[in-house]
Amino acid sequence: MNQSLSNPLRIGLRQERVIPPQCLIIFGASGDLTHRKLIPALFELFLQRRIPSEFAIVGCARRPWNDEEFRAKMSIKLEKQISKNEKEWLNFSKYLFYEPVDLQKEDDVIKLATRLAEIDKNQATHGNRTFYLSVSPNYYGSGCKALKKAGLINDPKKSRLVIEKPFGRDYSSAKKLNSIVQSCADESQIFRIDHYLGKETVQNILVLRFANTIFEPIWNRNYISSVQITSSETVGVEDRAGYYETSGALRDMLQNHLTQMLAVTAMEPPGKFDPEAIRNEKAKVLQASKLANENKPWECCIRGQYGKGGNFSNPLKAYRDEEGVNINSMTETYIAAKVFIDNWRWQGVPFYLRTGKRLPKRLGEIVLTFKDVPVHLFESTIINPSPNQLILRIQPNEGATFKFEVKSPGSGMKSRPVEMEFSYDESFGEPSDEGYVRLLADSMLGDPTLFTRSDEVEAAWKLYTPLIELMENAPWKLPICKYESKTWGPPEADQLLSKDNIFWRRP
Amino acid sequence: MKPQLTLQTPLELPPQEISSYLSKLWISENEYSLGANTFSLVVWQPSWLEQCLVINDFINGPITGNLSQEIINTAKDLILKNRLPLATSLYSKKLIDILKKNIANDTSEDLRGQFFESSISTLNPRRLITLAPTLNEHAGIKTFVSAYCPLSDDSSKQPICGDLVVIRGGTQSIYSEGLELVNKLSIEELPSWLWWNSSLDDSPEVFDFFLKSGSRLIIDTANGSIKRCLYVLNNALKSNKAINDLNWVRLKSWRESLAMIFDPPSRREILDHISDIDIDIEGEHVIQALFLISWISDKLNWRFKKINKGTDFTNVFFVRTNGEEIKISINPLPLGNPSIHCGQVIGLRLISKISKNPKQNTCIILGCESAECSRLESGGMADMHLIEEVVPNSLLPSEGDVSQLLRSSRGNTSPLFENTIKIAQEIYEAFH
Repeated sequence: MNQSLSNPLRIGLRQERVIPPQCLIIFGASGDLTHRKLIPALFELFLQRRIPSEFAIVGCARRPWNDEEFRAKMSIKLEKQISKNEKEWLNFSKYLFYEPVDLQKEDDVIKLATRLAEIDKNQATHGNRTFYLSVSPNYYGSGCKALKKAGLINDPKKSRLVIEKPFGRDYSSAKKLNSIVQSCADESQIFRIDHYLGKETVQNILVLRFANTIFEPIWNRNYISSVQITSSETVGVEDRAGYYETSGALRDMLQNHLTQMLAVTAMEPPGKFDPEAIRNEKAKVLQASKLANENKPWECCIRGQYGKGGNFSNPLKAYRDEEGVNINSMTETYIAAKVFIDNWRWQGVPFYLRTGKRLPKRLGEIVLTFKDVPVHLFESTIINPSPNQLILRIQPNEGATFKFEVKSPGSGMKSRPVEMEFSYDESFGEPSDEGYVRLLADSMLGDPTLFTRSDEVEAAWKLYTPLIELMENAPWKLPICKYESKTWGPPEADQLLSKDNIFWRRP
Repeated sequence: MKPQLTLQTPLELPPQEISSYLSKLWISENEYSLGANTFSLVVWQPSWLEQCLVINDFINGPITGNLSQEIINTAKDLILKNRLPLATSLYSKKLIDILKKNIANDTSEDLRGQFFESSISTLNPRRLITLAPTLNEHAGIKTFVSAYCPLSDDSSKQPICGDLVVIRGGTQSIYSEGLELVNKLSIEELPSWLWWNSSLDDSPEVFDFFLKSGSRLIIDTANGSIKRCLYVLNNALKSNKAINDLNWVRLKSWRESLAMIFDPPSRREILDHISDIDIDIEGEHVIQALFLISWISDKLNWRFKKINKGTDFTNVFFVRTNGEEIKISINPLPLGNPSIHCGQVIGLRLISKISKNPKQNTCIILGCESAECSRLESGGMADMHLIEEVVPNSLLPSEGDVSQLLRSSRGNTSPLFENTIKIAQEIYEAFH
């Protein structure tokens, strides 16, 4: 398969929505996220010709850079992407500006307002502004207040706020933060970002479910016996120890990314494809979700932390030996939880969610396991016929696999499992956009469909409140189980499922 | 039937009072009366066929501007009765001229401009101006005005209102007085569109007025002579005028289906060995087929070489960059019940010869229905690797396509269409 050839008949056929004149202001512009994700995503939008000529990106951080320095730093960081498109980068970098701002200093924000007015005039951005808060979560509330005070987010039609995760540390802090943010801006202006929702394959779950007639009738407790949602990383904590020590896998991944995948998988069909209709359904299903045993959360959750691993030539450090990590750290790098959804569709169906660092493979997937056939008419080539499974792969090798039984060749009537495969690569041959490309464009277009609403965020925190309280008040009841680096988590996580006579899928 | 947009009968006012009436309308004490900040739409709505049928009592009035099924059925009967070709357009001058012959006095109630598809009205056009020429060419001008507030599905949203102006009269008076009023009524800060809901051969002096104005144009090249259609398209391109063609829009499912076949990278090689393409169309109007050919050749970097035109076929030859020749045949097919849009593509067969062994070659068939696919399978096509798809023709009324264009609010001609027009013109020039 020659993947380098693009489909010439496809060129120009996609009618992508063009972003209206816009000024995007990134707070925390000197941080990692800006050069790792945001600027590359914006450059990609530029290459796709979706950026209007009336456009500006204003980087803001405390560092005393100027426009030229900011452009130079971004071009160094993005060297790889630029090398293929040097001319385009030169044109794109004309949209980059920088203003030193400390959001805690009123004078700085007032100065920023003046600079934005000037940029608005020069770049003809029509006063449309998207403020992206890529700062420490501790500053979300005060940042919003500062913007409000400077009158920068007063116009609900022209100004928007994009807020990175984590949105709060628990239910009460999320609620408090919501009330602060909502006192500064209308809910329609607030875009809480979860980059998993920007992934093509997560959105494809909605299409798979609601654009086909064959799935929805069996997408319920009558046919599905369990659901597994996995997001695994091969990397360790890397240089994020400062942040990770205060967050852990629950706050970093489970409460947001995995829970959003749960919502998209389990939600009811919306009446129409409309942002509010979809978010209503997601909020409803999250509000109906609960830990399998809220009174004894330790029975439905396993926490883990990676230990040493690797081999002689490539040894891997244990989490507690990583730079910046407390040597007695009780931060979980792995978490698995069993969740039920109390509604007609899903009553009694366990949803197992797991996420961790330093696992053997980087992947995201949702596995729907169907109920066993009522009577086994055929002998299986393996011990028992395996139940049908629908595997939705979020990353890598995005696609879907359906596992079912067929007759094994030969004179007998034995069955064996086979897989029916759909792969984005093989079907479309073109890589899908990074989640941030989609989400940045959507936020500037004012389309909130793929952003989490306040009630969704609160419901997601509420779901894990018994766990968070236990971790804070009686952590010994939910001990940290060690697992060797590059294995599929602690053995206790296997037991969580084996109690139900189920096994984690080993991808 | 399209819903009536205005709850009250529009007010008849002299043309010179319309502007001041409208400007007062939006300076209201009522804080809830918001004028939509969207776009204005001018519709050239002669509805010649409907006017003739109502006036001749073939169907009941009033005249509304709706192309109803009753009008279509009656017109098709009349086409048969008058021994016109089955593929005769409902906008055909021949048909209208026959119907005009027996016209007595025009006394029918005329409600044109008051009925709009909800797909358009829910976009909240700020100003809808209908130009409604009458059969009586010498009739003086009459103008009507009204405000309207389409109700949204979302009851929490307050209605956003617009206004509606109807300019009715003979073509001559519309040209001499009506167009001046259209100019006066234009709202500078909002984009303005013209939808030419008629044949492009109709009233060229009126169309040319809009070609020179700042409006974005929506036309339908299924209606009008090919020469005139291509002339209009090329003129628009030359003058950097944004133009959108519903006939090109209706090709979308064909372009998308063909592109979809080549999305899997394993099939890309087929494109390098295409040797023959057959395009079946309804009737003789070849412009949509020309668009399809031109788009394919543009994307695959083929150069137009020559044409070979027979009585019932047209062969167009292209050359690939490596010098290989590709033959494309346009085959007009007489259908029993043709679409109301003339010359629609109904089938496409593409043959790619990678080897002398037919089994290693590929035949791709796209048909608007299974019967068309079966027709294109004949001649031993199944000996090759066969890929087939049924591409249902768009059943949307024109208003649906117009609303898609208005919704996209693109201010320019699609670059794909621009290139297509240039190649289609090059091919057409070789016809003569």
